[in-house]
Amino acid sequence: MRVSTRQTQKSNTRKKIIETAYRIFSEKGFSVPTSIIAKEAGVSHGSIFVHFPTLNDLLICLLSDFGDNMGASLHMLAKKCYSVENLLKEHLNVLEEYEAFYSRLILEKNRLPDEAKSTFVIIQSTVAFHFSSVIDREIEKGTVKKLPIHILFNTWLGLVHYYLLNKEFFSDSNGSVIRRYRAELLSTYLNLIKKESEVYE
Amino acid sequence: MKTCIACGMPMENISDFAANDQGKDYCVHCSRPDGEMQSFEEKKENLTKFIVRTQGFDESAAGKIAENMMRKLPAWKKYFD
Repeated sequence: MRVSTRQTQKSNTRKKIIETAYRIFSEKGFSVPTSIIAKEAGVSHGSIFVHFPTLNDLLICLLSDFGDNMGASLHMLAKKCYSVENLLKEHLNVLEEYEAFYSRLILEKNRLPDEAKSTFVIIQSTVAFHFSSVIDREIEKGTVKKLPIHILFNTWLGLVHYYLLNKEFFSDSNGSVIRRYRAELLSTYLNLIKKESEVYE
Repeated sequence: MKTCIACGMPMENISDFAANDQGKDYCVHCSRPDGEMQSFEEKKENLTKFIVRTQGFDESAAGKIAENMMRKLPAWKKYFD
């Protein structure tokens, strides 16, 4: 089927809005007015509403892209029976790719519209699902301590979030906090949860 | 690739499908032992318990998350209209 010039233009405008919103929200937070996003994207303010009738629609679109990427990466690993170490590495890979956006999300989560907030919680539940399937397997094998799954998951997430939320203290530049600390976070966490004979080097 | 209409899980292998039947639209985790799909109430209860076990949330908060997850899935849409 031939795609008309009008359809191509429409899809390019949508792409431009999404890319600009992602960048601006990551830099300045989610309260930036859509008029600024339109200006930065070089499109009319009205065309944002053609593609995304509400701010919530725009946020859901950005969150879904992040969630789909996270879900697909972790699903593939969990399915292939990879170790908890591999799963956490992949979790960090995706977080690093979306670091500025994700940091804004955890910082401003409570101020997001309800549906966007709920989408974010569902994404974290997907991460918890894959985490639990890998951890359950390792506990059964005797390689990870028998501790409650939710405490193991929340400890990992809490640790990573602490570094992201305090980036100003952990990093003196605009570089990625995850890239800088990933080896230390990963090895320390694994040493905390692994049985002694399995100590991670 | 098919995804489960009741939980959204991608179904790649035959073992992912309910009763190992690739004709089914729902997965092994959303079926009862006899291969039938779980009811709305059963699925909500299972999801809620799962959220409590994996994230430690309060049960009523977990129940709301479970409902919000189900709201987006084809098998349960009619329960929210």
